Amino acid sequence: MQMDVTEMGGGLVVLPLESRMDATNSPDFKERILEWVRGGRKRIVLDLSRVTFIDSSGLSAILSCLKAIGQEGDLVICCVADGLMSLFQLTRMTRIFRFYPNVKEAVAAIEGL
Amino acid sequence: MQAMEWDTHFRKGETRSALQESVWWHLRYSTGKPWAERSPRSLYLALAYAVRDRLMDRLLETEAHYEALDAKRLYYLSIEFLIGRSLSNNLHNLGLYETLHEALKEMGVDLEEVKEQENDAALGNGGLGRLAACFLDSLATLDMPGFGYGIHYEYGLFRQGIDDGYQKEKLDHWLAEAMPLQMERPDQSCLIPLYGRVAHERDLQGNYNPMWLDWKVVVGVPYDIPIVGYGGRTVNYLRLYAARSSSELDIQIFNEGDYVRAVEQKIAVENISKILYPSDTVQTGRELRLVQEYFLVACALRDIIRRYRKSHKDFDAFPDKVAIQLNDTHPALTVAELMRMLVDEYAVDWDRAWDITQRVCGYTNHTLLPEALEKWPVSLLERVLPRHLQIVYEINHRFLEEISVLWPGDTDRLRRMSLIEEEPEKQVRMAHLAIVGSHSINGVSALHTELLKKTVVRDFHERWPGRFNNKTNGITQRRWLLTANPSLAELLGRTVGMDWVTQLTTLRGLESMAGDPDFQRDFLDVKHRNKERLADMVMDTTRVRLDPGTLFDIHAKRIHEYKRQLLKVMHIIHEYLTLVEDGRTPPTPRSFLFAGKAAPGYWAAKQIIKLIHSVADVVNRDRRVKDWLRVVFIPDYRVSLAERIIPAADVNEQISMAGTEASGTGNMKFVLNGSLIVGTLDGANIEILEAVGRENAYIFGLTADEITTLRREDRYHPREVYQGHDGVRRVMDALLENRFSPSDPGLFRWIVNALLDGGDHYMHLADFPSYIEIQDRVARDFADTSGWACKAILNVARVGWFSSDRTIEAYAGEVWKIQGTSSRKEVAAF
Repeated sequence: MQMDVTEMGGGLVVLPLESRMDATNSPDFKERILEWVRGGRKRIVLDLSRVTFIDSSGLSAILSCLKAIGQEGDLVICCVADGLMSLFQLTRMTRIFRFYPNVKEAVAAIEGL
Repeated sequence: MQAMEWDTHFRKGETRSALQESVWWHLRYSTGKPWAERSPRSLYLALAYAVRDRLMDRLLETEAHYEALDAKRLYYLSIEFLIGRSLSNNLHNLGLYETLHEALKEMGVDLEEVKEQENDAALGNGGLGRLAACFLDSLATLDMPGFGYGIHYEYGLFRQGIDDGYQKEKLDHWLAEAMPLQMERPDQSCLIPLYGRVAHERDLQGNYNPMWLDWKVVVGVPYDIPIVGYGGRTVNYLRLYAARSSSELDIQIFNEGDYVRAVEQKIAVENISKILYPSDTVQTGRELRLVQEYFLVACALRDIIRRYRKSHKDFDAFPDKVAIQLNDTHPALTVAELMRMLVDEYAVDWDRAWDITQRVCGYTNHTLLPEALEKWPVSLLERVLPRHLQIVYEINHRFLEEISVLWPGDTDRLRRMSLIEEEPEKQVRMAHLAIVGSHSINGVSALHTELLKKTVVRDFHERWPGRFNNKTNGITQRRWLLTANPSLAELLGRTVGMDWVTQLTTLRGLESMAGDPDFQRDFLDVKHRNKERLADMVMDTTRVRLDPGTLFDIHAKRIHEYKRQLLKVMHIIHEYLTLVEDGRTPPTPRSFLFAGKAAPGYWAAKQIIKLIHSVADVVNRDRRVKDWLRVVFIPDYRVSLAERIIPAADVNEQISMAGTEASGTGNMKFVLNGSLIVGTLDGANIEILEAVGRENAYIFGLTADEITTLRREDRYHPREVYQGHDGVRRVMDALLENRFSPSDPGLFRWIVNALLDGGDHYMHLADFPSYIEIQDRVARDFADTSGWACKAILNVARVGWFSSDRTIEAYAGEVWKIQGTSSRKEVAAF
């Protein structure tokens, strides 16, 4: 999966550049995030501003990343369009992730960790 | 004329010239035909587009009006909408029929011929689906914000062909024909999850957080069919959802070069809205049917909540703005899905979500037949909708706790009322789910509601007596008289005015005319013309010639044992044998007409179709009875055929075994068209009888109570009836002796076995003696032309209460709490 990765506020801001996160690209997405996590990068902002559709494998991949981070960091999500948010609501993932309207607020949230 | 002005003129104008230009324009630019190459088919399309143009502004204005009022809306969820043809009905309701008729005549086009090009939208099996369509017409006519939600089936109910007397099913690909009617709304598509598993996780606060994961997603794409009310003030819509794949094909597989497998997923998803299931097929265990039901519910609820949230931040006002009616148990998953959406997606706490759900939902029961009450195996539900099963269990747990407090120690009651049937296989009882989750539960005729309360769901009635109510079904007179029987509509208009189009009870004014010889003559003339029209059609389709001067005795409805087409055939055999063996001359010659489809998997019903044809073959070939009897089966019964058949009936057969037909609406349609009922005390027959007067209908047979008693006391022994009644014995013997199947001996032996030794579940033999007795009276009375006309006119005059407008007003006032929004500007034509 094509992603733009920037360091901000002591964490990584990950911007997937593809409009769909599904079975075709989620494994790659997950593997790359897990690689950073294993390397100690456990404060991550996932910027979904370019993504218009996530299927359940995409959601599962994001969930796996959060679990891998554990208590020592956080994965927060920002810039989620309404249509996409309904999929997070559907799975009740809204109750285990923190969501922010923009990158700035999301970065601020992980800064203090 | 300026371009804009001309555009408005041809798209909206209601003058002859505007309509002519519109038809011409659409023929050329929408169908790509020059006028010189017009065909009835292309003219139909041009006409349909021209009518659609005239609906659009009204549709948009209606929606804007509702939004401005923040009106409470009714959403009618139904797995079937049996719409039939729309063009004529739309023209009548828009007030354009006559103008267009004239406009086309000037262009050398016959509107009647063009109308025949429209195929029926057969998105339903029978009564339940047609009721839904009648309700939509009434809602729009009453200016009420009421919308239908259903499935955009690619194939409607099968088309029925007949081969050697046997039903042969053919695919009904209505979509190609219906394009002008509908508007695709891809911008309002929704994502529907299916399958997957529930992961038992904790949320950020450490609370239990069940997460529905690993689902597959299906896209629901809405198609709107505008529903115009009479007067053209209000145009609501019927929203039908088609299932589409979330990705056109699996790119990964495609890239690997396996093109076939790449589209498999797409095809599987689109199967969801591919076919309408015929009724009477065993649906339990059929995964696709369950998926269809959930797909309907999930699409509808997403749309309902989306619209509500456009103007509301929280769900406080939801029950004041939304009413959802569940047309039978097919959409019963609404209860679980609404709970899931409120609790999971919008974080509403359980108790409040439950209160909202109950206040929003109403449930209409349509059947007393135990085999038709839906149940879904827990194992299937767990696989297809794992989170919903969890929710159903939670609802059940809380519900049974409440019951055990009210009836301590009554474990049998708990078992009976549980949403889960434990044995032989664990199943979810959908009727129980619908009842528990609704504030209103209604039956569809007085008798049906009483039986519902006393038998099928008695425990629930004891728990919530106030939730149960009756809403006797109704029919729309715009379809079943104004459109279907223009000659009678015109005569009634000349006699009592046209108010009946919106207030059917004004037909009461006809009562004083019932004995008037001039009016009787006009009335009978209309009937005769309708019989001629039907006879021509029968000749074209079956090559059987009917004499319109004979008594047209019609049994037209779905073929099912409980509806007792077999009893009608037994009567015909009896008449035939009386003529040829006893030499008895009947008081009047008769034509017996049947129409109806049997579910493809329903063997007995299909055999009854064969029996009808076999009897018809023998009777119609026997020159001894040619002046007295004719029997015909008209194939492919559908709404447009019903519109042709019903106005031509002298008597109509409503002869289901008492206690089995929930309501019936065919009875109302026939009576409205001046046909007398021969019927049992079943369903709405009872109320019709009360309205039109017992002396103006022909009632026979055991009552529901009598049948219950006979059964309970084990006092019904068909063999004794056989031994004790010459007529019964002769009919049974004729079947045994292969009189109607000489080249296929034993073909109908199963009938005799089922009736004499199989218990005769639907009491044919018990009711047969009184049936032939009442039929003799029918024949004698019909010979008295004036007396018959008087009865028929009184039937029309007194049937007004059975308008679906009355039914809808009752639902609106007592269940949905919605109102007519009358402030929309009146349309000039009205």
